[in-house]
Amino acid sequence: MGKLVVWGLGVFLLFSSSVFAQKYKFGKVSKEELQEKSYPLDSSANAAVLYESRKVDYIYNSQGFHLITEVFKRIKIYNKEGFDYATEEISLYKRNSDQEKVMSLKGITYSLVNGEIKETKLKKDGIFNSEVSEYFDEIKFTMPALQEGSVIEYKYRIESPFVANIDRVYLQHEIPAKKIEVVIKAPEYFNFKKFSTGYLPIDLEEVKYSDKFNYRTESRLIAGLNGGRVKGSSHVVEYQGTKYIINSEDVPALKLEPYSGNTQNYISSMVFELSFVSFPNSPIENFSTTWEAVTKTIYESSNFGGELKKSNYYEDDLNQLVSGISDPIKKTAAIYNFVKQKMNWNKVYSVSAAKGVKKAYKEGTGSSGDINLILTSMLSSANIDANPVIVSSSSKVISLFPTRNGFDYVITRVKLPNGNIFYLDATDKYGLPNILPDRVVRGRGRVIAKNGTSQALTFRPTKPSSNRYSIQCELNSEGEVNGKFSVHHLDYLAHGFRVRNGVKSDESNVKRLEKKYEINDLQNYKVSGVKEYGKGVNERFDFSLEDQSEVIEDEIFFSPLLFLRDKENVFKSDERIYPVDYGYPFSNKYMINIKVPEGYEVTEIPKSGSFSLPDNMGKFVYRSNVANGVIQLVVNETINNSMISAEDYFVLKEFYNQVIQKENEQVVLKKI
Amino acid sequence: MKRQIQLALVAIFLCVSLKISAQDATILQAIILDSTLTKDANAIIRSEDVVIQINSINSITVKTKRIVTVLNKLGNRHADSYEPYDPDTKIKKVQAIVYNAFGSEIKKFKKKDFHDRSMYDGFSLIGDNRFIYFDHTPISYPYTLVYESEVETKNSAFIEPWFPISNYHVSLESASYKVINPQRISLRTKEKGFEEYPVELLDGDQEITYRLVKVPALKKEYMSPPLSKIVPLGKVTLDSFSLVNVQGSAKDWKTMGKWQYNNLVSGRDKLPESTIQNISKLVGGASSTKEKVKIIYEYVQDKTRYISVQLGIGGWMPMLAEDVDRLGYGDCKALTNYTKALLDSQNIESYYTIVYGDSDKRDIDSEFASMQGNHVILNIPENEQDIWLECTSQTTPFGFIAGFTDDRNVLVVKPEGGEIKRTKKYLPDENSLKAKAKVYVKSDKSIVGDIEMISGGIQYGDRYETKNEPVKDQKLHYKEYWDYINNLNISSMQLDDDKDAIEYTEKLEVSATNYATKAGNRLLIIPNVFNRYTYKMPKYDDRKTPLVISRGFVDEDVYEIHIPEGYSMGTLPEKKVEESDFGSYSYQLEKLNERQLKFTRKLIIKDGTYPKEKYEEYRQFMSKIRKTDKSKIVLKQQ
Repeated sequence: MGKLVVWGLGVFLLFSSSVFAQKYKFGKVSKEELQEKSYPLDSSANAAVLYESRKVDYIYNSQGFHLITEVFKRIKIYNKEGFDYATEEISLYKRNSDQEKVMSLKGITYSLVNGEIKETKLKKDGIFNSEVSEYFDEIKFTMPALQEGSVIEYKYRIESPFVANIDRVYLQHEIPAKKIEVVIKAPEYFNFKKFSTGYLPIDLEEVKYSDKFNYRTESRLIAGLNGGRVKGSSHVVEYQGTKYIINSEDVPALKLEPYSGNTQNYISSMVFELSFVSFPNSPIENFSTTWEAVTKTIYESSNFGGELKKSNYYEDDLNQLVSGISDPIKKTAAIYNFVKQKMNWNKVYSVSAAKGVKKAYKEGTGSSGDINLILTSMLSSANIDANPVIVSSSSKVISLFPTRNGFDYVITRVKLPNGNIFYLDATDKYGLPNILPDRVVRGRGRVIAKNGTSQALTFRPTKPSSNRYSIQCELNSEGEVNGKFSVHHLDYLAHGFRVRNGVKSDESNVKRLEKKYEINDLQNYKVSGVKEYGKGVNERFDFSLEDQSEVIEDEIFFSPLLFLRDKENVFKSDERIYPVDYGYPFSNKYMINIKVPEGYEVTEIPKSGSFSLPDNMGKFVYRSNVANGVIQLVVNETINNSMISAEDYFVLKEFYNQVIQKENEQVVLKKI
Repeated sequence: MKRQIQLALVAIFLCVSLKISAQDATILQAIILDSTLTKDANAIIRSEDVVIQINSINSITVKTKRIVTVLNKLGNRHADSYEPYDPDTKIKKVQAIVYNAFGSEIKKFKKKDFHDRSMYDGFSLIGDNRFIYFDHTPISYPYTLVYESEVETKNSAFIEPWFPISNYHVSLESASYKVINPQRISLRTKEKGFEEYPVELLDGDQEITYRLVKVPALKKEYMSPPLSKIVPLGKVTLDSFSLVNVQGSAKDWKTMGKWQYNNLVSGRDKLPESTIQNISKLVGGASSTKEKVKIIYEYVQDKTRYISVQLGIGGWMPMLAEDVDRLGYGDCKALTNYTKALLDSQNIESYYTIVYGDSDKRDIDSEFASMQGNHVILNIPENEQDIWLECTSQTTPFGFIAGFTDDRNVLVVKPEGGEIKRTKKYLPDENSLKAKAKVYVKSDKSIVGDIEMISGGIQYGDRYETKNEPVKDQKLHYKEYWDYINNLNISSMQLDDDKDAIEYTEKLEVSATNYATKAGNRLLIIPNVFNRYTYKMPKYDDRKTPLVISRGFVDEDVYEIHIPEGYSMGTLPEKKVEESDFGSYSYQLEKLNERQLKFTRKLIIKDGTYPKEKYEEYRQFMSKIRKTDKSKIVLKQQ
């Protein structure tokens, strides 16, 4: 009986909420909202957006169309940790004399004091304006008289002369949101491409609407027989448009997790990109439409294609460089190494030549666009089949639709006569053909051929990069281990080593290893191959370990992987929303020989065995053997996928648990 | 939760902006460099010359010429690339030239090539400090940068100090610092650490000059004093000065405190009548002054939050108490002043107190009165025992200052003048962590257990804020805290923050699969489940700096360990006791019965500064603890 009543109530509530949907009006905060103690769907929330409205519209005035964005937010602050959400920052773009402006900013803090609603208005002394740089101003404000339980409201309008840029529409925040309403009105003249990010469904509705504006012509003088002063006149222009309406409810907070890559790819949002503008009696101005058109626009732009065509600035250097070389591989290597050495990346990401190739070449520094367009151009001039590849780097939100703003980087692709393909990035001093920096390998690309066609690409290698470890050592009856260690870092792991430790002194490398492996006395450290690109990097040292074994009575216990064993599972969380991104597949291979002290025998040794992740995502193989008083161990730990989906998180976590367990199994030696 | 004010920033930026001179053209080449200066160095300051001219108390000109040779990528940050300024400071000249290793000019940056940005200090909502900078991408190493600037400021309350060795891994070829005082304005100087270095000091009629040459790069050592305490530091201050157009004069802390009181603090304490009535009502029932102070402190914690606004004199003067009352926020100055105003309304004596807030226990220099400090707290002298209040935190217990403003000299600003006092020191006994646990080892290698940890003092301060985190993060916190226990599962948590007793109690139920390792018919377990010292301290063949243990503590752990059915524990290791100058350690396992053993561990670490020779002794002491903490016992299957 009781159950039935509860069930009935549930239906009633469900029903009532849809009929009496709450209207959110500025200044009308309810007592219920102020009394709410925690967010019903997520009690860990320190604050929540109760309502957010964002209305974007094009308004016509004497200077033409303007973009108007109206923002209204109502935020509930549950506790002190939530006070940070009572401060808002509005970034305003400016260029030359054009600038975005904030108008009609109003804010109120509501609190319950002795059961009564107390309102405190945001005044001028709580609003601050500052100039951040030559391109941006910033308006900041923080709400007054906050208490735990307060509700804050603010609204403002941004007027912008930059009609091509509708800001990215965020549909998710660090705190949960009860309701987000977005309305974007685009007159027929402005045509947008839209794409979304995130794991949440987005309820987007498109509705046609019509509107009109007054258009005034100026009075002017006209020469000729019928000339004279023509009076200015006013015309009413009627137009159609598309209204994009997004209604989101009960949006969970964005949670950050380790090894996620760029979280901006996971936040729920919509991006509107202007694809073309078409006014009556004017030619259509294209911004982007298809991938072909996007690449064509990029290719034809003067600071991309135009820069690619320039060649006189490097001609002499190139002639000298390739004279006498006919083998295309050798030629490619000579040019690539030359550019890699000559040019220094200034950390600027760009698709096109930011500085201009000539200036960049002369100064020896430039953006990714400058450097790799120089590289592409030089290769082409030397009759190598080279094309630029435009890239969405890992710091860019992955572009799902053809859009020019989806790219922020460029590299070079070389096709050799034997069909082999090299991807080259000369901004990376440690780079190699097909060994690209992290920012590129985790991104996506599109190659542009000279005929304007394009093709999507990913750069992630399929072959695992490996670390090959080896240990030769002896154990004495006190439990001390003395021996030699060596590791070969290959491919991407060699690249990673060079990036992180390439310029470090031996002394700091020793410190790093002593810390990592918890070794007291690390002697005769040697690293080789750091500058021999194309080969692996080798590190070796001698060691002496006092605390890797346990001598208890007449027995000695130790893990045969010694200091190489994994001790800690990096995956600690009980849940996972985003995929695990390793960047590239990898494997760790261990070969270990331990000589047992005289007078001892091996009574226990961890058994050989193996286990795998599903779908060949990863594998762990452990082989042990004892021969002539030497313990021999071969262990191989491989992850074959550079990315592992959130659904496979638990098997991955469990895989590591088992790896750690196996690697910590003990050998037992007994005195004979 | 504690934040600092603009004072710190100005000091920091002044240090950073020290730039200097050299005329010799050969200095610009970097092919042949002195090997004593390249050792351990990422950059070499070839020469640094600062000339400070005191034109009047409203005008100081600072000319800087600095030549830096950068040896590698890590040295780039030592090549000056920016100049800070504010509404009272004008950059009259700035220029930078980059030379390659052979001494040929490769790039020149003139003032127009610099970009202008607002300075984000990391915690303020708004401030009026700005800087100009240039972008430079080095094309090869080594290269040399010659940076020259001339800056004029109306603020004479700060004269940038001489701090020639301001970074590790940077060597110094030559540095000079000159203060020219043509008007003979009365000034004071203080030199620290000049004995250990060959500093040349010339004290003339109108000039003071410091000079230092050839100092090899220093390397940072673990648990060493802050850099500023081991290198030369020269300070200069005027007896009469100007601060954002407010004139002042002071010779000692008494007059300095009085000036600050009269010009920056007093008269900013008016409160609305309704607030005073409300407060009177709240404290009406309180019997003692201390109780009243506590009620008022908690009222402020409830009503306000920390928002920093640093504009003009607002960087030095608290916001009006009535504004804080209306807005409900302010920075450390504003919130301290507000609390003080509330206490005043109840006739309770309290003082605005200037301090350096940091974990290093940085003192206000008691012998050198000048504008110092980066933070403000409140002092209430109560029956000979001072109460210190941190007014910027909404969660700190009443009177708790461990970790950020404890045990250091501070300036108490009183109407009759300034007074240097020392804040509370937290003794090892107070910084305690007491843990009791029951652990059941299962034959499937897993463990199940419960633990109760009670912490106080510094250890309370390190822990209590986890209470406010979401459950998911709390669980993750414990998994990180015991990162050596794999597959740790937290099945329940009960966290209790007793703010009156300043005691944090953490009760947890945990389990972990595969805690024990199996070796044939034996199980190996580490009895010290919950409190292992795991850090491996670095070893130095030639330690250069003293050992600093800034805060002591006491840890006591008692666990009851139950072993699985069918296993026996054999003979247990002997009790281990380690005694040293730094404290003591004991580790003991006792057999209670066939199924049960008792683990007891006590670690006492005493704070103090010890001579450098003692470091190795301390390292060995901690290394024994580290080894003992992870030692195993064997359980044999019967």
